[in-house]
Amino acid sequence: MSKTFEPVIAGFLCNWCAYAGGDLAGVSRLQYPPNMRVIRTMCSGMVHPNLVVEALQRGIDGVIVMG
Amino acid sequence: MVECGRHLNIEIHTLSRVTEVLGKKGNFNVTVEQKPRYVDMDKCIACGLCTEKCPKAVPDEFNMGVGKRKAIHIKYSQTVPLKYAIDSGNCLYFLKGKCKACEKFCPTGAINFQDQPRKISLNVGSIILAPGYEPFDPAKADIYGYGRIADVVTGMEYERLLSAGGPFQGHLLRLSDNREPKKIAWIQCVGSRTKNCGNLYCSSVCCMYAVKQAVVTAEHLHGDDVSQTVFFMDLRSHSKEFERYYEDARSRGVRFLRTRPHSIMPGKNNIGVSIEYTNDRGQRVEEGFDMAVLSVGLQAPPDALELAEVCGIELDRYHFAVTESFNPVATNRDGIYVCGAFQGPKSIPRSVTEASAAACVAGRSLLEARGTLTLEKTYPEERDVSGEEPRIGVFVCSCGINIAGVVRVQELAEYARGLPSVVHVENNLFTCSTDTQDLIAASIHEHRLNRIVVAACTPRTHEPLFQDTLREAGLNAYLLEMANIRNQNSWVHQKDAEAATAKAKDQVRMAVAKAALNAPLSRMTVPVVQKALVIGGGIAGMTAALEFAEKGYPTILVEKSDRLGGNAWHIGRTARGEEVRAVLLEMIPRVENHPEITVLKRAQVVSVRGSVGNFVSELEVEGKRRTEEYGVAVVATGGREYQPEEYLYGRDPRVMTHLQFDEELRERAPSIHKARSVVFIQCVGSRQPGRLYCSRVCCTHTVQSALRLKEMNAEMDVTVLYRDMRTYGTREELYFRARELGVLFLRYSLASKPSVFQEGGQLCVEVFDHVLERPVRISADYLVLASAILPNDIQGLVELYKCGVNEDGFVNEAHPKLRPVDMTVDGMFVAGLCHYPKPMDEAVAQAQAAVSRAAVLLARERLQLDAVKSYVTERCDGCGLCLDVCPYMAIRLEEYEKEGKVHRRIATDKALCKGCGLCEATCPKEGVMVHGFTLDQLRAQVNALVEAL
Amino acid sequence: MIIVHITALAQALGVHRNTIRNWMKSGRIRARSAPGKGILFSRKDFDDFCQAFRLEPEHLVFKELSLPLVPATVDAAPEEGLNHVPSTSREDSMSGKITGAVLVVGGGIAGIQAALDLADSGYKVHLLEKTSGIGGKMAQLDKTYPTNDCAM
Repeated sequence: MSKTFEPVIAGFLCNWCAYAGGDLAGVSRLQYPPNMRVIRTMCSGMVHPNLVVEALQRGIDGVIVMG
Repeated sequence: MVECGRHLNIEIHTLSRVTEVLGKKGNFNVTVEQKPRYVDMDKCIACGLCTEKCPKAVPDEFNMGVGKRKAIHIKYSQTVPLKYAIDSGNCLYFLKGKCKACEKFCPTGAINFQDQPRKISLNVGSIILAPGYEPFDPAKADIYGYGRIADVVTGMEYERLLSAGGPFQGHLLRLSDNREPKKIAWIQCVGSRTKNCGNLYCSSVCCMYAVKQAVVTAEHLHGDDVSQTVFFMDLRSHSKEFERYYEDARSRGVRFLRTRPHSIMPGKNNIGVSIEYTNDRGQRVEEGFDMAVLSVGLQAPPDALELAEVCGIELDRYHFAVTESFNPVATNRDGIYVCGAFQGPKSIPRSVTEASAAACVAGRSLLEARGTLTLEKTYPEERDVSGEEPRIGVFVCSCGINIAGVVRVQELAEYARGLPSVVHVENNLFTCSTDTQDLIAASIHEHRLNRIVVAACTPRTHEPLFQDTLREAGLNAYLLEMANIRNQNSWVHQKDAEAATAKAKDQVRMAVAKAALNAPLSRMTVPVVQKALVIGGGIAGMTAALEFAEKGYPTILVEKSDRLGGNAWHIGRTARGEEVRAVLLEMIPRVENHPEITVLKRAQVVSVRGSVGNFVSELEVEGKRRTEEYGVAVVATGGREYQPEEYLYGRDPRVMTHLQFDEELRERAPSIHKARSVVFIQCVGSRQPGRLYCSRVCCTHTVQSALRLKEMNAEMDVTVLYRDMRTYGTREELYFRARELGVLFLRYSLASKPSVFQEGGQLCVEVFDHVLERPVRISADYLVLASAILPNDIQGLVELYKCGVNEDGFVNEAHPKLRPVDMTVDGMFVAGLCHYPKPMDEAVAQAQAAVSRAAVLLARERLQLDAVKSYVTERCDGCGLCLDVCPYMAIRLEEYEKEGKVHRRIATDKALCKGCGLCEATCPKEGVMVHGFTLDQLRAQVNALVEAL
Repeated sequence: MIIVHITALAQALGVHRNTIRNWMKSGRIRARSAPGKGILFSRKDFDDFCQAFRLEPEHLVFKELSLPLVPATVDAAPEEGLNHVPSTSREDSMSGKITGAVLVVGGGIAGIQAALDLADSGYKVHLLEKTSGIGGKMAQLDKTYPTNDCAM
């Protein structure tokens, strides 16, 4: 492999905490690796387990649920 | 703040001051002088080019002079209005007659050097003064070498050093050599509690801001050689949750030294400092620190005098506005009110509370003119997009250089053009600017767009703005989707344009995929019952009931005992010396006879249904039940005095609590007069494990009683055994006076509490004296225990309303700083002792504030709920799994008949549902979904992401 | 209302400023202290005073305020401030006109909160700020205790 492995991570973020935290990281200009793609939810408890499994099945390298 | 800038009925006049106030309550004519801004507010798009090109740099006052700004500037990046201004005192054009760089580079031609001062004439019914405070400036008095020693800074400067938006972007550096300081000292009471600078009062907030800074510093810096030391006189953590915060700081290793340092000398080469102080053994110590922070006090703003004169209001000797305990936001001039630190030094929550209280009384007197000058926004009818193929418009924001500086926006826009269903793409410098809103609306009409994707900042702040734009263009607000390519992309991947652009493409693709599935949603509105319920008939509850009633809202006042008044019956005078009973005797009949107030004694709430705007409760009144509907509720259930088990209380009649001693003073003053020695013990039941909070009022109460005794008989020995005296604000004057009159203050620590015993019929108190380093024995004719304030038990209410109390049993607020009287349950508000121990004036202000906040809800008449709610699909088979997980009990099971058979399925209560979607995640059959976040929509986003692989 | 500078008055009478203050305390001069070094007379008291001391009023008047009489709090019983004037007091309804707008001076957290509450309950608000943007001191704070939230 010539390129280093860069995972694609789906992030389910709660609108009220983790997503707000993501915004705050931006306001504070905290730098982090660009591998996560955020899907905003109204609560981390909204994420159906099937959705996580589907995502992984379809080839996404990681799923992170934050809330 | 942003809300304020966008509010249809708030007009912000910046760079302005009041020069004349004529007329009277209900009808004032105010003249305002507005300084020129030299920037046309309509044209300025806040792109920042002018600041970039401006050659003149000056110390930035927002950063307390640490760091620079330009002559043309905005105060800070989130300021409202976000429009630049030229400071003519520093601008080269105004100083030397040439430059005009900003004018040359401004892309919109907003610069106007011909701008003139303006006089504005305003006609208003009430005036609220909230000019705030000024931090004490230690440079003027050459205190602790401030101004000469680089590493001595004020608390406010230190805030800026810590701040992510500050001069060092949140990386803590000291000013002498720009290196990270390891060992930092805080010095309390600089410009407070001292005769030297004339500020005898306690500034109330500095102890806690110093503790906070020490804790935050510990989070910033790491390593074994890092330490924080606070030099203090009395540590005053007298507000809610502060004692716990202070204890937590101590357990984290912040060092607290009770001594006032003598002086600060510069370190070697003027780097660092050396502090000289006397330690608790009386030895002189010189200790080196990397940096010293002076916890400067709060004082009245310099323009307070002028403002007071123009408005004709009375100030005290410190130039704070004078008010009364039972009318805490009213000045001596009718129709003019004050709030915040202008009335006396105070913390943020108290300022916010008073602000709402001022709004309450300012509005009360203008009742008949309510709604006459306000505008209500109207929207065109929504276009019906059902059955239309998705036609998506994508708007990519450059956000000046915020996004465009990292993400290649042109490339992103081109990419978006190729996505399915996208028919129109635009790139804007600022998608949020007012002119772009018109552009978006025009595009919606021109291209018949029926879904909009905005790739810009976060929906958390800007979704309402764009939703509004859609509504104005005749589209349903929920046809909008945002891609957060600023906060969660360009700002956090500043070094990697390639990856950031790739990520932005993914974000836009995912947003487009979701948007295609967005459906128009309607917001449910519910009528608001124009009635209030007040629980608790003490001073706070009665004040709230009266305020509601004066605003014309029928109010039910529920009191569990058989008389109104609560604890106020037992209290002598307020800290300002007002007689409490006289007020009570005047207030109670006013409440009982008010046509809008129904007083229910021996009553309690036994059931609650519904939610904000539509509560329905069963009340039990003298054993009988009645049902009441109301839109809002104020909880003012009060507190009570702790009945001590220690210090021979209840076993020796000479030992009494404060309230009993007040009674004694009232009824049997002559026998007290004869006493030779009276001892007070502070913090009985407060500030100890199990009750880790300060009861806030007892120090002032003790000092007041001690003064009363000394005035009765100057020969009497009055001794106060205390841990920290917490006579905050101008109450400090009482403490000062008590010491002048010879009241003896002896400190004890939690570890060595005083002991009380009888010896030959004598009541004796023994305490370990820290100065003499030996036990001291005092005989006492009376022993007064400053016992704690406990909240009344409201477990029943907590369960009924599902509201929260903290571990001490005090009602939780929605946000400790910004929503201090709103409870965690919408439509419920809190006032008085059930929230936290507090003196009379604060309880009254809080009650008025609660009514102000509640009146905002009642004023709407119909309440609009967010459309993001759960709904039941065809696939629900009534298994009921979701019932248990719903945290809001918004789901119930119901039966229905179909083809002669009984089926079961769930039904959701839209008023209760908060759209959290726990049901959606729990349901095994996709039988329940949340609008706007359906499984299909989330799946579409995942699928769109997969496409990138 | 008339404001007279205490120094001017002391000079005109040829006494020390403290003497004036003492006279005010003892009631010999019917006036009370105003913010700064001014003292506040009602028009009638001022005229009486000038006549008694044979002073020329024009040389003394520092400022004449055309304000409604401010109740002298010195004389007021503490309970007096408690009489919440009901919104439809006789005075208001007689003057006929009530303006449904409020001026809030100061764009800090207190001013902002007051403005929002009023604007949300049906009043027009003019929010006055002396600098170029609102936000006040709180916007300058890094974090707030006890939750260590961001101050913005």
